[in-house]
Amino acid sequence: MSATPPQETHPLDFRTLLYPLPPDENLSCPICRSPLLDPVTTICRHTFCRDCLSGAMGVSPTCPVDRSPIGDGDIQIAPVLIGNLVGDLIVLCPNASEGCTESVQRNMVEAHWRGCGFGMVECGGCGERIRRKDWEQGGCGHKMVECGYCAEEVRGVDLAEHEEVCPQLSAPCEHCLLEFPRDKIKQHTTTCDEAIVNCEAITVGCPWSGRRREGGEHAISCAFTYLKPVLLEHASRIATLENENKLLRRKIDIIMPTRSLEEEERTESGLDQQTIQILTEQEHVRNDVQRIFAVLQDMELKQTMLTMHMSENMRTREEVAMIGAAVNDLRSQIHGLHLLTLRRQAGTGPNNQGGSLPVRRVGDANPGGDRVKL
Amino acid sequence: MSGSALKRITREFAEISANPLEGVVIFPIDADMFKWNIELTGPKDSPYEGGRFRLNLTLPETYPFKPPVLSFATKIYHPNVSNDDKGSMCLGILRSDAWKPSCKIVAVLEMARGLLLEPNPEDAVENSIAMEYKNNRANFDRIAREWTRSYAK
Repeated sequence: MSATPPQETHPLDFRTLLYPLPPDENLSCPICRSPLLDPVTTICRHTFCRDCLSGAMGVSPTCPVDRSPIGDGDIQIAPVLIGNLVGDLIVLCPNASEGCTESVQRNMVEAHWRGCGFGMVECGGCGERIRRKDWEQGGCGHKMVECGYCAEEVRGVDLAEHEEVCPQLSAPCEHCLLEFPRDKIKQHTTTCDEAIVNCEAITVGCPWSGRRREGGEHAISCAFTYLKPVLLEHASRIATLENENKLLRRKIDIIMPTRSLEEEERTESGLDQQTIQILTEQEHVRNDVQRIFAVLQDMELKQTMLTMHMSENMRTREEVAMIGAAVNDLRSQIHGLHLLTLRRQAGTGPNNQGGSLPVRRVGDANPGGDRVKL
Repeated sequence: MSGSALKRITREFAEISANPLEGVVIFPIDADMFKWNIELTGPKDSPYEGGRFRLNLTLPETYPFKPPVLSFATKIYHPNVSNDDKGSMCLGILRSDAWKPSCKIVAVLEMARGLLLEPNPEDAVENSIAMEYKNNRANFDRIAREWTRSYAK
């Protein structure tokens, strides 16, 4: 840090100066309409700013007021009186926008500006631009200093700003106005009697809010507080029913896949994967059961047919038995006839020999080989 | 150059806004202040009475060393305004050989309004209209009134 404060490195642009009072029209340049700067007078005795006249001469070598021709030799510095009059005009400090409230005579303004505390100068230490008065008071102000309350290190120029938010520094509670360290205020607010709180039944619609110390009194008369358990129970039942409804909706979707897609998406999102799996499984089982049922019906039909066949069979068997009996009957008759025939053939002899006939029984061996075979 | 031009134009605009000319309304159309829209009201006791004429004023970057350019956007029957789509008005102080940097826009507008009251047939751009004005004033007034009714609404 040098002993002399840093200086403005460029000259002051007088054209940017602001005049707090309306300037005298007679002291204004006919070209730029601002108070004359570095006034010069032509041979035709018109006065202009030096820069304005040279600009006009570049376009046309005539007087900008009366158009009489003028050459370079026809221009002189304006009378001292004019220079003094415009030099005495009051102007605002060029750093007015930075906060300087000084207004000085124009011929003094450059001197003021060079030392103005509101001028931005380059800090020799760190190269940043700071106000000259900050430089004069604390040097550069960019060095780290320790906050006296929280021991945090901050830049010297930022200390005041830091103290606005320093957690250790006391600040009043906005409700009860008691002082607390900043980092304790939040905690205090949760118990501060003056803090504004909502009714505990705000979740079921109580609109009351007020100071915490009045909360107890309010709770005694608050209808919402009494109804809260009932309302909450209702709410939970509604939630259960809603879930159930979602499940049912999902089932309907499976049964009736024609339902609109959006509706399906809406219900689907509310179901978990497992439920969907179970329902799909259930659907499979239902299909299987239907298939088995069909097979069963088929089998029953077959069984009925079998029973019919069996009874028919029984009847046939009975008929066969009857036919067998009839055949035996016929056989015995034929046998009888056969014997009769034999006896007639042997009638001449055996009939004379006494009439005793050998009785042959069915099934006896027939020596004559004439047995009827069926 | 244009920095000082802008400063002077801004100053002049502030002066005109503080002391408006009778029958003249100004709307700058560009943020840079180098183009102004102007509405002239036809002066009483002139054939342009009751008309509202839109004009464009364009200021050169070298203002005030070069003159502004003034043109009528509204069609007007006038010896000093060209009867084409430019509607240009070029006479007196608006001529670059007659322009003086000390001249102000307010003087230009005063001149334009003065020309509505009293055309200058000696410095005309439309010679036929100028002849009409000089030799058959009644017919000139009739046509100017008709045009005013038709175009300057």
